[in-house]
Amino acid sequence: MNSRTGISKEFSIMVHLSSTLLKRYHGGFVVIRLALGGCTNRPFYRIVAAFNKRARDSKYIEQLGTYDPLPNIYNEKLVSLNYGRIKYWIGCGAHTTKPVAKLLGLSGFFPLHPMTVTEAERKRKQAVLMEAQQVGEGDKEDEQDKEEQEA
Amino acid sequence: MFQVARSPAALFRLLTPRGGVLVEAVRGRKSRNDPKAKSKVDRVKLPPPIDPEEMVVLKERYREYDLIVRALRAEFREEVMRRRYEEQVGSRAEERAKREAEEHRALMEWNDRENLRLRQLREVRVQKQVEEEAKRRAEEILLHEERRQCVLKEKEQEILQLQEDVKTFITPENLEQRIEEALDNPKNYNFAIDKEGRVVKRTVLP
Repeated sequence: MNSRTGISKEFSIMVHLSSTLLKRYHGGFVVIRLALGGCTNRPFYRIVAAFNKRARDSKYIEQLGTYDPLPNIYNEKLVSLNYGRIKYWIGCGAHTTKPVAKLLGLSGFFPLHPMTVTEAERKRKQAVLMEAQQVGEGDKEDEQDKEEQEA
Repeated sequence: MFQVARSPAALFRLLTPRGGVLVEAVRGRKSRNDPKAKSKVDRVKLPPPIDPEEMVVLKERYREYDLIVRALRAEFREEVMRRRYEEQVGSRAEERAKREAEEHRALMEWNDRENLRLRQLREVRVQKQVEEEAKRRAEEILLHEERRQCVLKEKEQEILQLQEDVKTFITPENLEQRIEEALDNPKNYNFAIDKEGRVVKRTVLP
C-alpha cells in the first residue's frame, strides 16, 4: 500500500474535476463573443457567453443576442442584445472580444470603441481625398479638351 | 501537413501536368525544416505603417475607454454581488421566508382537513365492514348447523333402513329355511325389450 504522505509512483486517487475546479485548474474564463452560424455565403452570428477554451460554435453557457452582418432591404444590419444578462455576465467577470465591444459601443451600452471612431475618421479622410482626386481629374480633362479645341 | 480543412482555405494547383489534382492546402504548407522559397529569400517583413499623430490620439482614446469600461465593470460586479446578498440574507430573503411559511401553514391546514374527512369516511366504511363480517359469520354458522342436521338425518335414515333390512338377512338359523324357499320358487330373470319399451317375458325355465 502506498502511503499518502510518502512519494507514490502510481496515483492513489484519480478524480474527475467539477466545472469550478476545472476552470481553476485550466485558468479558463468566460467570454462574450460571436459564434458563427448560417449557410454558405450567408453568415449569421449569435452573441454568446461561453468558456474561453471551447470551440467557437460549440456548447455555450447562454445566448445573449444576435448579429446579422448582411444588411436587409432597408439597408440595416440588425443586432439584438439582452442587456440584463450581459450586465450579469460582465459582473461575474466575463471578457468581451473586439467585435462584441464595438457592437456594445455602437448600441450605447459601453462607450464608443476607439477603433470605431478612428476607422470612421480614416474613411472620411479617404473619401475627401478621392473627391479631391476626381475633381482634379475633371479639371485635367477640361484643360485637355480646351487644348484640343484650340489646336 | 495536408489536413482536412473545415472552412475552405486557399485552394491552389500543385506543380502537376494537365489534368492535375486540386489539393486543398491548409495554412502552414511547409514544415519546420523546409527552406525558404527563392522568391521570398530577400523579403523583409515590416509591421504596418502608423501615423504618429493618429497613434497619440488613439492612445488617449484607449486610455479613456479603458477607464470607463473598468468603472462599468466594477459597477456591474457590485450590482451582482448586492443582488446575491439580498437573495441570501437581505430583505428579499425575509419576504421569501415569510411567503414560504404562509404557504406551509396553508398547506398543513388543508392537509389536516383532508385527513379529517378521510378519517370519517374510513370510520363509516370500517363500521359497515364489521357489520357485514358479523352477518356473514352468523349465516355461516347457520349453514353449518343445517348441514349437520342434514347429515344426522341421513345417518338416522340409513340406520332405520338397516334395521329394516336386518329382517331379510340370512342367518345360520334361517339358512336351511331360505335354501328350501329358494329351491321351491325358481325365479326367471330372462326378458326381452324392444325400442318402445315393451317387455316380453316368455322364456320358460327348463
